[in-house]
Amino acid sequence: MISENLLSIKNLKTHFTVGESVVKAVDGVSFNLEAGKTFAIVGESGSGKSITALSIMGLLPNNLAQTERGEILFDNKNLIDLEENEMRKIRGNRISMIFQEPMTSLNPVYDLSFQISETIILHQKKSKEQARKIAIEMLDLVGIPEPQKRIDSYPHELSGGMRQRAMIAMALSCNPKILIADEPTTALDVTIQAQIIDLMQELQKKLGMSIIFITHDLGVVSEISDHVMVMYLGNVMEIAETSELFNNPLHSYTKSLIDIAPQISDEKREIKVLRGEIPSPTNPPSGCVFRTRCPNPGIGCKGGDIEMGLIEAKPGHWVDRCCYECNQT
Amino acid sequence: MIRVENIKKYFPIKDGFFNNKSGDVKAVENVSFEIPEGEILGLVGESGSGKSTLGRAIIRLIEPTQGNIFYKNKNITKLSDSEMRKLRKDFQIIFQDPYASLDPRKKIYDIISQGLKVHEKMDKNSINQKVEEIIQDVGLQKEHLNRYPHEFSGGQRQRIGIARALVLNPKFIIADEPVSALDVTIQAQILNLILELKKKYSLTILFISHDLSVINQIADRVMVMYLGHIVEVANTSNLFSNPQHPYTRSLIETAPQIFRKNKKKTLLKGDIPSPINPPSGCVFRTRCPNPGIDCKGGNIEMGLIEVEPGHWVDQCCANCN
Ligand SMILES: Nc1ncnc2c1ncn2[C@@H]1O[C@H](COP(=O)(O)OP(=O)(O)OP(=O)(O)O)[C@@H](O)[C@H]1O
Ligand SMILES: Nc1ncnc2c1ncn2[C@@H]1O[C@H](COP(=O)(O)OP(=O)(O)O)[C@@H](O)[C@H]1O
Ligand code: SF4
Ligand code: SF4
Ligand SMILES: [Mg+2]
Ligand SMILES: [Mg+2]
Repeated sequence: MISENLLSIKNLKTHFTVGESVVKAVDGVSFNLEAGKTFAIVGESGSGKSITALSIMGLLPNNLAQTERGEILFDNKNLIDLEENEMRKIRGNRISMIFQEPMTSLNPVYDLSFQISETIILHQKKSKEQARKIAIEMLDLVGIPEPQKRIDSYPHELSGGMRQRAMIAMALSCNPKILIADEPTTALDVTIQAQIIDLMQELQKKLGMSIIFITHDLGVVSEISDHVMVMYLGNVMEIAETSELFNNPLHSYTKSLIDIAPQISDEKREIKVLRGEIPSPTNPPSGCVFRTRCPNPGIGCKGGDIEMGLIEAKPGHWVDRCCYECNQT
Repeated sequence: MIRVENIKKYFPIKDGFFNNKSGDVKAVENVSFEIPEGEILGLVGESGSGKSTLGRAIIRLIEPTQGNIFYKNKNITKLSDSEMRKLRKDFQIIFQDPYASLDPRKKIYDIISQGLKVHEKMDKNSINQKVEEIIQDVGLQKEHLNRYPHEFSGGQRQRIGIARALVLNPKFIIADEPVSALDVTIQAQILNLILELKKKYSLTILFISHDLSVINQIADRVMVMYLGHIVEVANTSNLFSNPQHPYTRSLIETAPQIFRKNKKKTLLKGDIPSPINPPSGCVFRTRCPNPGIDCKGGNIEMGLIEVEPGHWVDQCCANCN
């Protein structure tokens, strides 16, 4: 099967300066996003998922440290090199993003009509009336009942699930090639989460966009994604097709995550535990960054002979080479 | 240990200007159940279903509108404040938000020892000893006692919250979404800690969560709550192997899991309705995937009936099915 890479990220590094120290929030991330596919990024809090997303969007805080940044290739351009005015043409138009808390991207003082129309007017040459009409169609598309009435609602008048739908409507209003969704269902009840996941899958079928779906929940990953990237402390541990990752995990961290993921069963099982907490990114462990929590680290894991970096263990299945080599011996 | 009969909690809605009562938020409706000593009873439901309100009402942190609460067979519903104060230390809560629930200006030592100073006449040495013992029980170190909450991660703060709850040797704990704000790896650590401490301190626990997979791991028995009503109760294995109520079934089917046995997923329509004006008949009917003709009510009222030993389900639904 020949698949087209819509977005290609190579050795992305996003470091921040905080006082005297450097926070390596994203430290050498590489992956490809295929057209029409969903790519999940999973990892614990602080692993660098959101900063990876914000790096793609060119929406980074201003304490960025000077370093080699790597490449974000989209449409034959390296987004890292783009000027802000160039990036503005892509953001919200070709690549859109939605967030965990819709209130961070919906403005509480404007109604939905204004907010959705605004993006449409900015990126497509449409009149106010045309934009409003498109906005209503978008609300309808994302399953908001009575869109002609709802279009004049303010964000606080909507439930959490409806707000998330409205944000999706806004993000998709310019028919982007890529939708980045940063934990869009984490704050929702499971019943509403299931509705939103279903909606995103349906919209992907209809509109054909690619999705980068960020989550910390492996259960959600298995529901939604074609490929998965497991991150830890700014590094990529493993990338594979979703079912391959769950059935044949190669990295110890992935194995631990799968092991402890709650699995509903009729019998009582013991609760499995991964000890410790994610270390500070200012001072990551040498060698394999996961080694301070790894259930069975090898002798080579402290580093010295080996550095972190992905190798392709099987076609399409990438794993950090420290761990791959540990497990071979 | 705890028995509640027909507990109701209504919050009156006041008209802003004249302060006239214009209605009620019917947060908890006619709920009855028992928790035997040593049990972990799970309480699950979507947000807004009334879980926290029920939890608070049964230890009288808020006054129930109606109903009776028995603690060790003694009716505590009408106890005066001073009598209730003596019982307070037997009941403790662990909260969801490990950030908001710890006073940022206080050192960990003061946060944990506060209850001891209020409830127990203990000398300084015994207090120190107790606090040092408990901090180690929750997996932290003595050195941590001199620090402030902001110096800790979410998981560590939850451990501190647990230490604060346990320092008075309570009998009954309400754990209100204690792991909902935590990462999965930390979630598993805290659940395990709660199980360990439950054994060590002989606790009885009402464990509240909106996450069925968490409830599945920790509870002995489960109550499913929707819009103020308990719609199903069973021991954990029965509830998951043989769920009766469509709401329970949908919660199980929609819980995201890596390896799913049953691929069927029944999505619920819409949102949970407002508890100010709940649907007549079966409160779940506006979202039920398969409502019957009788579900609008008239002939039948909500209430639990036993469908197999220890397995109770709302009678509207038992009859419909
Ligand atoms: N502007 C900044 N300055 C310094 N450090 C930062 C900055 N922004 C993020 N970080 C740090 O970078 C790391 C990665 O953050 P990021 O938000 O990407 O994590 P995440 O994987 O999205 O976590 P979560 O699951 O909590 O959303 C964290 O340690 C965070 O504290
Ligand atoms: N003090 C209060 N005043 C008015 N309504 C309240 C109050 N506390 C809770 N409620 C309402 O009662 C219902 C149940 O709330 P709650 O017990 O917090 O649900 P849960 O814990 O299941 O999310 C909700 O509709 C909530 O808004
Ligand atoms: S490289 Fe070593 S320490 Fe790191 S995850 Fe693999 S086995 Fe564990
Ligand atoms: S009583 Fe009727 S509406 Fe209610 S859950 Fe059962 S079948 Fe559905
Ligand atoms: Mg994030
Ligand atoms: Mg609650």
